Amino acid sequence: MAGTMSEILSFVATFSLIICLIISLYQMRLFFIKYDTTKNNHLLFSSVQLSSCFFSFAILIYIFLTSNFDFQIVHSNSHSDKPFIYKFSGAWGNHEGSLLMWILILTIFNFLFVIYDSSNFKLRNKIIANQSFLILGFLAFCLFMSSPFTLMEESFSQGLGLNPILQDPLLAIHPPVLYLGYVGFSLVFSFAIAGMLQDKVDQEWAIALKPWILVAWIFLTLGIALGSFWAYYELGWGGYWFWDPVENASLMPWLSATALLHCIIVLEKRNTLQSWTILLSILTFSLSLIGTFLVRSGVLNSVHTFASDPGRGLFILLFLALVLFFSFSLFATKGSLLEKKSSFGAISRESGILVNNWLLLTILFIVFLGTIYPLFIDLVLEKSLTVGPQFYVVTITPILILLIMFMTITPLVGWTKGSFSQAFIKIKYSLIFSLTLAFAISLYFSLFPVTQIIILFLSFSLIATSLFLGVNLYKKNIFVKSILGRTLSHAGFGLFIVSVIANATYSEEKIYDAKVKDILELNEHQFVFEKVNRVEGENYSSIQAVFNLLRDDKPINQFTPEIRFYNDPPTATSETSIVQGVFKDIYIVMNVPQYQDSISVRIHIKPFMNFIWLGVLMIIIGGIFSIFQRVKSA
Amino acid sequence: MTKKVKNRLIKILLSLLILIIAVLIITLNLRDNIVYFYSPTELLKMQTNETKIMRVGGLVKKNSINSDGSKKFTFIITDEISEINVVFQGILPNLFAEEKGAVVEGSYVNNSLFRADKVLAKHDENYMPPEVINALKDNGKWQGQ
Repeated sequence: MAGTMSEILSFVATFSLIICLIISLYQMRLFFIKYDTTKNNHLLFSSVQLSSCFFSFAILIYIFLTSNFDFQIVHSNSHSDKPFIYKFSGAWGNHEGSLLMWILILTIFNFLFVIYDSSNFKLRNKIIANQSFLILGFLAFCLFMSSPFTLMEESFSQGLGLNPILQDPLLAIHPPVLYLGYVGFSLVFSFAIAGMLQDKVDQEWAIALKPWILVAWIFLTLGIALGSFWAYYELGWGGYWFWDPVENASLMPWLSATALLHCIIVLEKRNTLQSWTILLSILTFSLSLIGTFLVRSGVLNSVHTFASDPGRGLFILLFLALVLFFSFSLFATKGSLLEKKSSFGAISRESGILVNNWLLLTILFIVFLGTIYPLFIDLVLEKSLTVGPQFYVVTITPILILLIMFMTITPLVGWTKGSFSQAFIKIKYSLIFSLTLAFAISLYFSLFPVTQIIILFLSFSLIATSLFLGVNLYKKNIFVKSILGRTLSHAGFGLFIVSVIANATYSEEKIYDAKVKDILELNEHQFVFEKVNRVEGENYSSIQAVFNLLRDDKPINQFTPEIRFYNDPPTATSETSIVQGVFKDIYIVMNVPQYQDSISVRIHIKPFMNFIWLGVLMIIIGGIFSIFQRVKSA
Repeated sequence: MTKKVKNRLIKILLSLLILIIAVLIITLNLRDNIVYFYSPTELLKMQTNETKIMRVGGLVKKNSINSDGSKKFTFIITDEISEINVVFQGILPNLFAEEKGAVVEGSYVNNSLFRADKVLAKHDENYMPPEVINALKDNGKWQGQ
């Protein structure tokens, strides 16, 4: 039996969500009210929506922090021995809690929109109505199908614990950041719906929408990067991206959002590509929905986990179908009318951006196919299969080559009508420089195959051209702020690609059986296995091996890989030990000694890892600059 | 031909070309990179001159894990009906153990011998790969919920 206190908490939290549900329902009346009359009402209602969800979420965190095992969600996902931070993050490390967080973020974006939109913006009513519709839909799901505040039938004095592999500080912040990205696109979706309903998809619309796309895109990029960084040091396989269905699910909305981010610029500057922008907005949000919920309900990993909890998966699929059906029927009736008659030449910046949009969507299609194909075959033929990472690498490479080419040239070509030859003249020095550099590198290292040399050359040109263009315009003192964001992001992308290739080609790994005092050699590196320690952690005990990297027989770096044994649930994890150098990481993992008297050690040399992260960081910072530029010129 | 028509034609041709190339590359690659999963019974029933990489999963048989003292292991994967001998060189995952579920990826040699390049196991003691559960269910040997 649950205690009285727990019953009160559960009631209050649920009641608070019901208030939000009712207000969201009431706010949907705005679909039928054409013009904004009182801004104050919006502020009042949206802040009640926000605070009621926030209140519920606070209760959720409270029951996790106090380890209140009267609640099902705490019992199945927490344990009183867990460190504080993981009790905290455990609140959203499960299906029900993450759903509540998703709704909370929906209300946050709704609230931020009410505060920040320009005062005479005609679409406000419809945007708020649509946002409230989304809040309503997910709240109904949360309350009726997967409430986080369900009480246990009998009392337990202890919980089942959280999967130890999720007990990591990065994984505590990874979901909220990723969700800020996903949910940010809900507002983009609402803009699209409102724009179609009001027949107003124009430059003003684009200017109002662009900062929201950027905000969501930045969080999504950061969220994916955090997940990838976590995979790199926690999983202990030496890689940072595995083309796993769950990773792909976050990459798909990113690709679509990146296309959207560029085509909104065309709409903003040239007032064309209206229907294409709308289509991308709908697509991005739909993929965000798929990204979150199909991952959470387990559909992506296997069709059969889906069958174990058909209610949830079905609801999401139905809701998604509903959203898609309405937005596409609206698009079918309104889409072609939105298009303004303004043509542009085959060689123009508009065309370049459009081509790159297609290329991004082609990559999206490849990822989609690789992710969905095994599911499809499993359903139809009942055969299990997986798609190897090689599929993605080989298939995406040629498209990546085209993508980088167009990324380099497009910013140099003028709007409406441009010329390639002029563009090439502008960047001839950076092209020559890049070609020389790529040749020099391929001669010196002689390890790279032809495709990689081509990509290296193109990436160098991209970096050089972006920087060149940035510096040139800075000198002329025009458009400095608007160029800075693009320069950073594009150069960052070039750096990212170069580093990924160098990393893939020069990564090394070797497996050893080691006993204490052994010396392990990998290339010019010598590691000495000093000793084994036993370490007691807060809720685990571990075996720690100590290795020293030697230079001239003197230790210069110490490595301490561990194997942790957790009690609840009983699980063992390997903790990697990484020493980050400027140009390469050295990465050591060990495994539980089984059936042998030595320990298994794997040493990885991972060159250019820092530059991969730096490239991503530059892409993100570029995005941030682009937001500020908009705020300043407005 | 007016300029506008010409422009449109170029665009359409370009997009068609990209589309065709893309679809071609994608389907060809997908065909080459699919890894099928088999239970030991299914694997033994198959025509076995296949050299493609595949996955086999089931339970690790009791007392079947042997090591030559270095990194080379042999063990038996069973679905309680048929057995496959597996040879593997490398590091076994932390939770690889007797009578637990495991999936190996590699190639079939002959006479129920399988050379594994990878041994896949998740980090949860109670975790059973869904493919293994299905294989056992198909045999009527599944004892879980």
